[in-house]
Amino acid sequence: MFATGVALLALLPLGFVVWATISTGWAEAEKLIFRPRTGELLWNTVRLTAGAVALCAVIGTATAWLVERSNLPVRKAFHVLLTAPLAIPAFVNSYAWVSLLPSATGYGGALLIVTLSYFPFVHLPVAAAFQGLDPALEETAHALGLSRWRTFTRVVLPQLRPALLGGALLVALHLLAEFGALQMLRFPTFTTAIYDQYQSTYNGPAANMLAVVLVLCCLLLLVGELKGRGRARLSRVGTGVARPATRARLGRAAIPVLTALCVLVALSLAVPLASLTYWLSGSSAEFDAEMIAATATTSLALGALGAVCTVGLAIPVAWLVVRHRNALSTFLERSTYFGNALPGIVVALALVTIGIQVVPGLYQTTVMLLAAYAILFLPRAVVNVRSALAQAPPVLDDVAHSLGSGRLAAFRRVTLPLIAPGLGAGAALVFIAVVTELTATLLLAPIGTTTLATQFWSHSDSAAYGAAAPYAALMVLLSVPATYLLTREGIRR
Amino acid sequence: MTALTIRGVTKSFGATPVLGGIDLHVPAESLTAVLGPSGCGKTTLLRLIAGFDDPDAGVIAFGDETVFGDGRSTPPQRRHVGYVPQEGALFPHLTVTANITFGLPRKARVAKHRVPELLELVGLDVRVADRYPHQLSGGQQQRVALARALAPEPSVVLLDEPFSSLDAGLREATGRAVVSALRATNATAVLVTHDQAEALSLADQVAVMRAGRLVQLAEPPVVYGSPLDVGVARFVGDAVLLAGQVRGAHVDCPLGTIALRAGNIDGAAEVLIRPEQILLRGDGSGVPARVEEVSFYGHDAAVRLTLLPDGPRVVARITGERDLPAPGQQVGLVVTGDALAYPLSG
Amino acid sequence: MRWSMRVTAAVSAVVLAAGCGNGASGGDALTLYNAQHEDLMKAMVEGFTKETGIKVNLRSGKDFELANQIVQEGDASPADVFVTENSPAMSLVDAKGRFAKVDDATLAQVPGQYSPSSGNWVGFAARSTVFAYNSKQLTAEQLPKSIVDVAQPQWQGKIGVAAAGADFQAIVSAVLEVTGEDATKQWLAGLKRNAKIYPGNIAVMKAVNSGEIQGGVIYHYYWYKDRAEASANSKDTELKFFTDGDPGAFVSVSGAGVVKASKKQADAQKLVKYLTSKGGQQILSDSKALEYAIAKDATPNSKLKPLNELKPPPIDVAKLNGPKVVELMQQAGLI
Repeated sequence: MFATGVALLALLPLGFVVWATISTGWAEAEKLIFRPRTGELLWNTVRLTAGAVALCAVIGTATAWLVERSNLPVRKAFHVLLTAPLAIPAFVNSYAWVSLLPSATGYGGALLIVTLSYFPFVHLPVAAAFQGLDPALEETAHALGLSRWRTFTRVVLPQLRPALLGGALLVALHLLAEFGALQMLRFPTFTTAIYDQYQSTYNGPAANMLAVVLVLCCLLLLVGELKGRGRARLSRVGTGVARPATRARLGRAAIPVLTALCVLVALSLAVPLASLTYWLSGSSAEFDAEMIAATATTSLALGALGAVCTVGLAIPVAWLVVRHRNALSTFLERSTYFGNALPGIVVALALVTIGIQVVPGLYQTTVMLLAAYAILFLPRAVVNVRSALAQAPPVLDDVAHSLGSGRLAAFRRVTLPLIAPGLGAGAALVFIAVVTELTATLLLAPIGTTTLATQFWSHSDSAAYGAAAPYAALMVLLSVPATYLLTREGIRR
Repeated sequence: MTALTIRGVTKSFGATPVLGGIDLHVPAESLTAVLGPSGCGKTTLLRLIAGFDDPDAGVIAFGDETVFGDGRSTPPQRRHVGYVPQEGALFPHLTVTANITFGLPRKARVAKHRVPELLELVGLDVRVADRYPHQLSGGQQQRVALARALAPEPSVVLLDEPFSSLDAGLREATGRAVVSALRATNATAVLVTHDQAEALSLADQVAVMRAGRLVQLAEPPVVYGSPLDVGVARFVGDAVLLAGQVRGAHVDCPLGTIALRAGNIDGAAEVLIRPEQILLRGDGSGVPARVEEVSFYGHDAAVRLTLLPDGPRVVARITGERDLPAPGQQVGLVVTGDALAYPLSG
Repeated sequence: MRWSMRVTAAVSAVVLAAGCGNGASGGDALTLYNAQHEDLMKAMVEGFTKETGIKVNLRSGKDFELANQIVQEGDASPADVFVTENSPAMSLVDAKGRFAKVDDATLAQVPGQYSPSSGNWVGFAARSTVFAYNSKQLTAEQLPKSIVDVAQPQWQGKIGVAAAGADFQAIVSAVLEVTGEDATKQWLAGLKRNAKIYPGNIAVMKAVNSGEIQGGVIYHYYWYKDRAEASANSKDTELKFFTDGDPGAFVSVSGAGVVKASKKQADAQKLVKYLTSKGGQQILSDSKALEYAIAKDATPNSKLKPLNELKPPPIDVAKLNGPKVVELMQQAGLI
């Protein structure tokens, strides 16, 4: 029952999109969707997504190979450095670049900066896939006479496909949802255009119709990834222990490769951090310490509440799917994953409209904002709670019952301690996501509520880069622990 | 300790019947092995006894106390059963001591009541007391699981294929340790297994299950020596089955005329001989056969033979002597002891 | 049992606290839907609270965002007072009948041309359209004579506007009012070709200053504010004021109105009255906002080009048509 409610909540935005299309009427919708501006936005969105996904895939695969399969010096340090950009929200990264280099705008700038922000989404899963890849396969291919490169393309790459596709999908979905970074880089896509329409017309049909097209793009991506994943079984088939792989010698390529990696790290990490430091220390802006403290407190509180609520909602869904797997529970679980594909702006638009028209009591309250966070970040929580529950098989409950523990006692003494780390990881990820969430918060925050992200945004929106810096720095600091979690566990979808 | 009585227990999952009327009596302070192939319903039976699931009908009683019957069911936490699941299922977040004392009242938990005693009982060094499950070997985990089940002094101990995940060598040693601990505590125990050697070697009585029904309930030598039907015979050990003609107390079959142990059938029958009953002779006596294949195990060897001129094929189990027959060699076969005959099925 | 109940209780308490404590719509405080610069309104509201003891909560957003929000919220709107940067959003709310009439005494504090004839809202500040240009790249002779000229082909890629902002949309509404729909469509099409689109006026000015573009259409006070500070974004930038009734000489009026759904009409009227009072206008004049104070007895800020030297086109503030402008700009593909 409860899980059904959670799934319904997660499906609200999709329902809204359908409703918006119907209520706008086909004639009006046609007029709003099939206009040159939509084409322009589509072209921008597509070329940015395609470009960034391609670049991220190449860079991420290359860095993953270097870290996992070559004799690169200080590999572990590089792995951390190559993951670290995830701690810098993309909109903070663009702020850092644009404030130093105002011409880093338009397609080129946007492509550069989003690639630098998002390539770790490919690096992490592909590196994990390399780890899981049985070197015996490569050795067999060599033994069958394939060259190193042919082995890579014919044996390794197909094995990496799920990880690569998963990472690429993550990059693409993030790009479709990206608002802050692209707005700052003056590269209009659907999401920024929806926000512009929102500013001009609130939740008018023009905004809603753009949202419809955006959601269609997202669904298209999801389906594409599913198809691309194929049906081949890509894990080790036999049993036995995989040996660590022999690492390729870089030889004379070592120096250029090292240089390239250092440039990548410098661009993705050193530039934003240096820019932040510059604005924090060098600018003349006086920081309103009281305001910063208040905003940070709000962000922390919202993050904590968002994490508790979202994980709380995730537990019944994950429980159902782990303990009572059937078609219905699978469907319920899957429906919570839509949040992954839905841009914050669409979720926010949906909730604004529903809030005004259906539940005015909740409108402009924290509850509404928390609902948006829940919809957006449920997937992270469900994935973690699910794998945590898998660590607590039902047989342990049986044993506890046979030893005299009732249902609740068994949960408290056995299940809870076992799933606590997973719950914690899920909560941490949601927490960070909430703290750095911009779009939905801009639209849904109750009167008088400002967060680090919105305050940062309102400063950098009016080019007050110095004043924005402390908020950016705080967001980066808060993101570090979750990024650490990611490096440890890899990205799980 | 109390006896366990099961009467007329049935259970279906949806439209699939799993148990079709089980009657089973486990005398107090004895170990009964429930033996059957996977999917026969033996684990379901165990879960019904433990109270994790309820039967559709029937009665389950521990001694005088009915724990299920007339639709009333005592919840598992009040049945006082000791449950040892597959692979032990130790609580991974708790030390050995905390695992063992899990089912005790809080005070006894704090006092680490009887932990050294129980560890000794299951044959473990007290030094493992502070370890976590992942620091133990599979066999040690099983012993701790048993100690945990025994700690609250249960009325019945239930073991669900507790040794199936262990290596062959470890399996036997752990099995013996578990049984001796059960005997030392005078426990009434039910051991579910699909391994006939385990069932025959450890249990006081063996309950053979097939397709949701209890086929035969007897002491191990009886189950092995006088299986109720061909299916049971095959399940509890290797079997050579030959077509034959029963004549009174003897049966004629390709291996000659053999005395029958029991049975009141006549005419065409299936004849059961155990491979160890077949002896190889090199002196020209016995039924001629050609050696096809020899598998040497060390302590003994299996020899696959074709009766000359062209079948049937039989297996003989011989002690691991130094000069084994070679494939292609011609030998004579002689049967010792008596055989069993079953009416032809279908 | 007791343990899990404690957790449940704690969680629900936190959720409830967050749900209720943050709404800020209850109590005696007024809720101000603010589309003006937050710093300015905070300063003015502070003065109001000091004078009356009435507290005010701000919900900040953009002109049309908040205007449309008030319309959609209807009778359930938590807003008591609405202030904008530009008048078209006020007209939108007025047209939907979501304003209560402003007290006559308040209207009397402001010259008639800054309020609509309906008297449903009142102007309290004004800003002038300017053409900001890079003084190293353009000489005075090269500047466009009229705002209409920036749509000419020679400006292709050389000018910038903040198309999505209400400021620029107000300017478009002036062009529409002065030149008519067809000319405006042509003008917008020219802009679509010529202009780089920036997220805000400051971004336009920065781009002009850095030479990324030669000129841009913004409001006057962005330049004055920057000059009053470090001139970091305006050192190489000068302003051209269009004159003689050119639509580019448009003076945009920031409005304030009492929301009809407000349950605190008296206090809301007090706030609107304060914004146009001598005290309120003084804060406006003294503030770093550098917008024009427009009430009858306001002291002008001496740093600004005097209000009476601007020669704006004669436009009825009530006639500026926001939704029509948005539609035209959507058609032109500017937003």
